[in-house]
Order: sequence, then C-alpha cells, then structure tokens
Amino acid sequence: MDLSLTEQQELLKTTARDFMEREASKDTLLELEETESGYSDELWQKASDIGWLGMLVPEQYGGSGSSLTDAAVVYEQMGAGPLSGPFFSSGVLGALTILEAGTEEQRQRYLPSIAVGREIASLALTEPDYGWGPDSVSMRAQPTDNGYVLSGTKLFVHDAASATTLITAVRARGHEGMTLMMVDANTPGVSTRLLSGFMGWVGEVTYDSVEVPADAVLGEPGAAWQPLQRAFQKAIPILCAYQVGGSQAVFDMTLEYSRTRIQFGNPIGRFQRVQDHIVNIINHLDAARWTTYEALWKLDSDRLTANGLETSIHLAKAVTTEGYYQACNGAHEVHAGIGVMKDYGLTLHTQMSRTLYHYLGDPRFHRKRMAETLDF
Amino acid sequence: MDFEPRYTEEQQTFRTEVRDWLKDNVPDDLANPADSADTTYDDYLQYRALGRDLGEKGWLWPTAPTEYGGGGLTIDHAIVLDEELDEYSLSLPPYYDSGGRLGGASILVWGDDDQKERFLPPIFKGEVRTWQLLTEPNAGSDLAGVQISAVRDGDDYVINGQKIFVGSSHGAEQYWTITCTDPDGDRHQNLSWFIVPAETPGLTVVPMDLLIAGGEGGAGTGHKNTIFFDNVRVPASNLIGGENNGWQVATTHLELEHGSGGTIRRNRLVDRLFDYARELKRDGQPISKDPEVQELLVDVFVEAEISRLFGLRNYWMRHAHQKLAHEGPQSSYYRKTSGLRMGEAILKILGPYALTDDPKWDKSDSHMEVFQRSSIVALHPGGTAEIQKVIMSRRLGIGRQVREQAGRLA
Repeated sequence: MDLSLTEQQELLKTTARDFMEREASKDTLLELEETESGYSDELWQKASDIGWLGMLVPEQYGGSGSSLTDAAVVYEQMGAGPLSGPFFSSGVLGALTILEAGTEEQRQRYLPSIAVGREIASLALTEPDYGWGPDSVSMRAQPTDNGYVLSGTKLFVHDAASATTLITAVRARGHEGMTLMMVDANTPGVSTRLLSGFMGWVGEVTYDSVEVPADAVLGEPGAAWQPLQRAFQKAIPILCAYQVGGSQAVFDMTLEYSRTRIQFGNPIGRFQRVQDHIVNIINHLDAARWTTYEALWKLDSDRLTANGLETSIHLAKAVTTEGYYQACNGAHEVHAGIGVMKDYGLTLHTQMSRTLYHYLGDPRFHRKRMAETLDF
Repeated sequence: MDFEPRYTEEQQTFRTEVRDWLKDNVPDDLANPADSADTTYDDYLQYRALGRDLGEKGWLWPTAPTEYGGGGLTIDHAIVLDEELDEYSLSLPPYYDSGGRLGGASILVWGDDDQKERFLPPIFKGEVRTWQLLTEPNAGSDLAGVQISAVRDGDDYVINGQKIFVGSSHGAEQYWTITCTDPDGDRHQNLSWFIVPAETPGLTVVPMDLLIAGGEGGAGTGHKNTIFFDNVRVPASNLIGGENNGWQVATTHLELEHGSGGTIRRNRLVDRLFDYARELKRDGQPISKDPEVQELLVDVFVEAEISRLFGLRNYWMRHAHQKLAHEGPQSSYYRKTSGLRMGEAILKILGPYALTDDPKWDKSDSHMEVFQRSSIVALHPGGTAEIQKVIMSRRLGIGRQVREQAGRLA
C-alpha cells in the first residue's frame, strides 16, 4: 500500500502548477471567460508544447501514453485554475473515444493531430431530450450512395465552438445501436452556437442536411456504444481529478479568507458557524480525492472486472461532482459579498462546478448506475 | 498509488502460519460475534485466554517493541494478522481494552524506562486488561476540565472523585486515568496521568444503564461503568510523564482515539444489509428491487465507502509516518455522522425489521437492531462529532491563534 504520488508524478504536479501560475493566472482566466473558446492561441500552443494534449495518446500515435493517474495529476492542477479550453474534451474524451472506437486508420489520421493540439475533437452526444444513457440519442443518419446525411440538433455540447471535428452520435438507418460520425466542423450545414447563461463553453450544434462520407463512421456503424463506454470509464476519473483540483483551490481560498477577514474583532475562522462550512468543504474535498484516485488506481492496475471497477468509477463521479458543487456553495457562505465579485475569482469555480455538474452524467445518474453494478 | 497491501512471499508464509494457528486456537463459538451483543462471562474468559495465547506468540500487539513484550513485527505482518482475524470478525485484542492501543502508546512516548518495563509487558502480552478513565460528570467534551483530585502524600498520591463512561462488562485488572494535581494551576498544565491497579482499596465500580446494555464492543457500544475513587492510594512511581504534565501524555492517546490510527477494514454491515434487502420481500418481490430502496442502499454504500477510504488513508499516513493534521478527527467525525445517516437509511429500507433482534424474525443475527442503537451511542466516545469539528478547525489553523499540532505518536 502506498498512497503517495511517485517521484515522477510529483514532478508532473510541480511542472503543471508552475505552468498554471505562469500562463493561466486568475487575471488571464477572467479574460478567457469572456472568449468563445475559453483559450488563447498562445496558451493552447504552449500547453500543447509541454504535451498536455497527448498524455493519453499512445506513443505510436504521437502522444506520451501516460497512465491515467499521471494525467489526473496534471488535470488536478488544471482544475485548480480552473483552466478553460477544450483540454479535456479533445485531449481526454475525444482522444479516448477515437482510440476505443476508431479503426487503425482513423487512429492514425486523428490522434497525432489531437496530441499536438492541431485537431480539436469534441463529443456531440446529448440532445434536447437530455441524458447520457444508451437511449438518449435519437438523431438520425440517412444513408446515401456514398455516405450519410445528418439532420438534427445536439444540445449542451461541451467545447462545441472550438471543435475542428465533432464526434457526433447518431442512429444510422439499418443499425439498432449507436453510431459515431467524425464530422468536420466546417462541413456545410453544421452550425454551432454558444449557449448563454450560468455555464461556460457549452453549445448547441445544428446539422442541416449535412453530408458526410461513408468513412466518417468511427469504427463500425451501430457498434459505438460499448467502445464509448470504455472511453467514458477512463475519461470520467480524469474529469473527477479536474474537479478535485477545483475543490482544493476553493478550499484553499476559503480557508485563507477565514484567516484574514476580520469581523467583530476576530478572524471569522474563529467562529464555529464559519468553521462548520470549512469542515464541510474539506470533507467533500477529501471524499472526492480518495474516491477518484482509487478509481484511477483500479484502472491503471487493470482491475477491469474484479474489485468493482465500474462501481468505483460511478462512485467517484457521483461524489466528486457533488463535492465540487457543495464546496463552492460553502465557499460562498464564508465569503459572502466578496465571493460574488467576479475579479475575486471564486465565481470562476462556481460557474465551472455548475457547468460540469451534468457532464458525463450527474450524481443522480451515477448513483442509479451504482444500483445496477452492485446488483441489488 | 497503490490502495492494496502488497504481499511478499514471506507475508504469505506468515499468513499460512497465522491461518493454521487461528484454526486450531479460536473456539468455534467465539467467531462472528454480533458486534456489541451481550458477551457472557464464560465467553469473555475464552476471549481473554485467546488474547493471552496471541500475546504469547507476540501477535496480540504485533508492532509493539519486543523489549516490552510486543511482537516487534512489521506493519506488513500486522496487516496479515488483521485480515486473518477479520475472517472470524475478531480484532486485536479480541476483547475491549484501552491498554495496548491507547494507554500503552502514551506510556511508550512519555513513560520512563522503569515504567515501560513494569507496565508494558503485561499489557502487550494480554496478561492484564486496562480500561481508560477519562470522562467525569462535569468533564465530557472539556476533558481538560477534569476535577478528580490527586494529592501527593509521601511516596503516594491520594485520588478522590468520580469517573464515568468507563470500560465494558466483566471488569479489568488495571486502569489509566487523568487527574487534577493543581486546582489553581493554568489550564492544560495542572493535570497528571496515572496507572491505577484495579484492586487498590477505595475503588467502587457501578454499572451504568445505557442504550446498549451489554457486551465488549468497546468505544461506541456496550456496557459502561461509573468508578468512584475514595482515598485511593497510588504509588508516585505510577505517575507517567511527570506531575502536571498529564495533558501532554493524553494528547498521544487522544490523537489515536480521534481516528488517526486508521483502519484497512471494510464495514461488513453493508454486505449484511445488502443480503438482507435481497432476502426480505414486499409485494411479492425482494425489497432490493424497489427503486426507492435501491437509492437508499446506494446512499449507505457511498457513506460506507467514504468512511472506508478515510480510514485507509489514515492507516497509511500513520504507518508511512506522514504528518497528520485534520485527518484523524475528520475520519472520526465522518464515521459518527454517517453512522447516524446510515441508521436512518437502514430504518427506511428494512422497515420494522431494522428494530428487532427477535430470533424468530430477525435475519441479521442482531446486527441491524444493534446498529440502530450503536450508531446513536457512537456519537460521543472519543469526543462528540461537534468536538471532532472543533479539533479539525484547530488543525487547519483557524480555531485558535496558533495552529494546533497533532499529538505525538511513538
């Protein structure tokens, strides 16, 4: 048993933290919040240069083939920002989906470009009848002589606006199961629109008689659900690590504030009503951290069916998503007025905790999956 | 990271040895006791005998130093012992005792050589059972406010006063306690810590009538006593850590009692609950098929998993000598409060079956009914849930002007 990071992971962590301090300060992130994509070309290039987009891409496709725990260590630091931009969408979820579902040719075609940040692949799965289960996709793909025609709407698509390729989930005629299509975002008939509101970089994608070639099908038509689930299993704990980093940052800033904010002649952290919130936040944070890293350990050590791997992943996602959300709520209770001033920085996390709340399944969704995997 | 103990070949050889020994030495009727149900005196004597046999082999307190009667084994061996005993639902020691885990830990840190030689071997070999005497009628959460007085008289101290919430059923051979030796002294600098032999004249043990009546379940469950001190003479050589230094001595065992010891065990209650829910029927089908029941079962599972991970983390931190801060009281706080939430969920899941240990109708060997009680009783021992939050805050550097450090562990 050893719950510490390896020396190499400590190094990854330090490098990532330094990068974040240097390139993604609070002021930078506040500026990026106003952009359509959530990143600047310069920041994207620098992050690509240090390999952040190729961590989960195997070496033969131009990535570094890191372990999931290695990647999680970096994503935890990104979450502490929270760093915006399609890092997770493309470098984790997009890359893993292509790796799990794609043919060898498709892997060779897309993964090296994703690994260097030239290609940005976002998953367009959810629709107005929002959900993450196998029945939540109803958009049709109509076969033609040399491909398919896609029509319909994808909603709440993360990083839709910055995507160069939209990995679009459809029902192809003649196939009962789900099909994934690699749709170039510049194809005529594809339009993306950023949704306004208390969420960041989530969009609507409309497909108006979009013609795609037959080889746009990722893997086999009708057979995408299983490989997509395998990609989700690996991607979810990385997203969790990002949320752990966010929760840690929220905890750190709240603790510091409670030490320095003076009211009634005392630092407010001396008041037990305030302590209650801080204790609550660190309980959520630590529960999130250890459920997440245990799931990552199971994945990295190939505990594929034994030891309740699937249950662990659902557990981590339910606990971590809920934890980040509650950590932000607690932080607002402690910070009061200053917490809602945008330049203070807390609201970056508050909005991110809401943005990610339903992504890849909300806590309730994963609790239901747990009821299945625990086999009641 | 690695969340599992790794076993070397040597450990697996040790496991075989332990397994064979336990098979030969654990009486059949002692295995799998309902955690805090009544233990008869005959059973208790058998547990004590098993404890002495384990002590003889150095397995009762496996990691305690051999020079003081411990096993001198590594944590790897202790893990194996713990896992094998868990197969019988037994722990080390197989009865309630505050000597080895808590008092012994304080003596190791704060006792002089003579005291370590006198007091530790009987504890670590299981020859004596030791109870802790901390709480008083007017000193619960505020332990540093104890009033029981110890006054120096020649080579002795004379102790007068009362301690409550002590021990379990069936008595003990010795006690350790914290007393006030300077009523006018500054807080935390007026206390002294003693070992008191149970047969000393002037001690009276009176059982308390509590929500859980019987048993050897230890902290959080089972029988407790009031102990009255009437001019109890204790030799000054039984004073550990020096006069008015008792609070320092106590910080060591309090640290451990506040959850810093950690555990690698799972909560078997969850498995028992799942089995029960698959067995009980409502409207012709197992209640576990009811979606609302499933939600509650998942709630229980999630709480138990978080508790398990906090315990596992603390176990690792302690044995890897990581610097502890809020982690001990956090684990304790979470266990206490989640216990209450789990109790509520179980009540909703099982209905009135959660409340009966009637042998005809209860299918859990009393475990569910006992948990309905013990989850309430467990809220106070070792500090209430609220006190755990107070300690957490101090460790995080916000409860006081100066950040509180964790107690010294050996």
